[in-house]
Amino acid sequence: MGPLIPNGIIGEGWDFVIAILLGIAFGFILEASGFSSSRNLAGVFYGYNFVVLRVFFTALIVAMVGLMYFDYVGWLDLSQIFILPTYLTPMIVGGVIMGFGFVIGGYCPGTSFTGIAIGKLDAIFFTVGLFVGIFLFSLTYPLFEGFFDSGYLGNVTLTELTGIPAPWFAFAFTFVALAAFWGTMLIEKRVRKNMKQYKF
Amino acid sequence: MRIDNLNDMNRNYIFLTIVMLVLAAGTLFLTTSDEPKQIAPEELLQEIIQPSRYVTTDQVAKMIIQGDPSLLMVDVRPEGEFEEYALPGSVNVPLENLLDEENLSYFGVPGVKVVFVSNDDIRADQTWVLTKRLGYKGTYVLKGGINCWMQTIIDPLPPNEDAPKSEFEAYAFRRGAQIYFTGAATLAPDGENVQVQVRRREKTNVAAGGC
Repeated sequence: MGPLIPNGIIGEGWDFVIAILLGIAFGFILEASGFSSSRNLAGVFYGYNFVVLRVFFTALIVAMVGLMYFDYVGWLDLSQIFILPTYLTPMIVGGVIMGFGFVIGGYCPGTSFTGIAIGKLDAIFFTVGLFVGIFLFSLTYPLFEGFFDSGYLGNVTLTELTGIPAPWFAFAFTFVALAAFWGTMLIEKRVRKNMKQYKF
Repeated sequence: MRIDNLNDMNRNYIFLTIVMLVLAAGTLFLTTSDEPKQIAPEELLQEIIQPSRYVTTDQVAKMIIQGDPSLLMVDVRPEGEFEEYALPGSVNVPLENLLDEENLSYFGVPGVKVVFVSNDDIRADQTWVLTKRLGYKGTYVLKGGINCWMQTIIDPLPPNEDAPKSEFEAYAFRRGAQIYFTGAATLAPDGENVQVQVRRREKTNVAAGGC
């Protein structure tokens, strides 16, 4: 049956409407999970709050395992799903920059907007920086262009690269995620014990 | 009270953890079919009875002359016949080797129209059905094949005097195409090297006003 739009079950003009609805739902979940507070978000780096890890890992493993069942019962053809092309080194460097931005600024791009929605000053400051960064990157893009396009591997998946069937990855990932939930709970408990006060 | 809540929470977490683990382990037992993806027979029938897969020799000639980069001609005749004569710029994929992985990579590229060429349109049609079954979009058949190409483009016949105007226009185009593909041999000695014209947007001079 699915994906719905490429298979013509939903008209192509609807993709923006669906995107807006999904965006609203995403923003709502971010805010409801406490992601509009930079203290909550940065907590993952200092060990006192792992809500980021839990929410994103939960979303990831539920979606991942769910999609595999969807594929199995024929609701969604996973082979038709768009896979983001991999540019290995630029992606690693981008991840490191993103990580630094996250720990310094206390937000990631999506959460900074939820922060703005409830009027956080640091979120506004962060978002201004975000747009300045985008602007500067666009201006200096010709300098990075060669690196930006390097390490291209195509639209590959781990299964294609290694030959190990997807369910094994799914299971391993789920196991790691669940272990991380319990492990971080212990870390949280120990770190919070030494904190004088903690406000969200 | 607080401790009770914590225990409740822990119990929920333990329960959800187990559910998630069981579900994830369950994916290991899902059998994936090794059959290639193909479209439903009803859909294939619909596609087959529609003539929309045919492109005419005139259309193809025009695209070659214009250097249309979205056109990919795939010649499905045996290698020997391909070497004897082939449309300029076409690639040879004999029907026997159609399912080789490197040959399949020609199909399903977004924005590329793959036109199958054979002597008539039977072999091309067969190839087209196979690619349709494999679920590729954007594949077409050259109506009439190389035979029709010879009759219309390489050696066009003038229409009768009482023929409609459109036929005279088609004839005029074919004469031009004929010169391009045969008489123009001295201008473009290698028919394979059809120059692709890159049309660029003209740059506007921003500082032209002198302000």
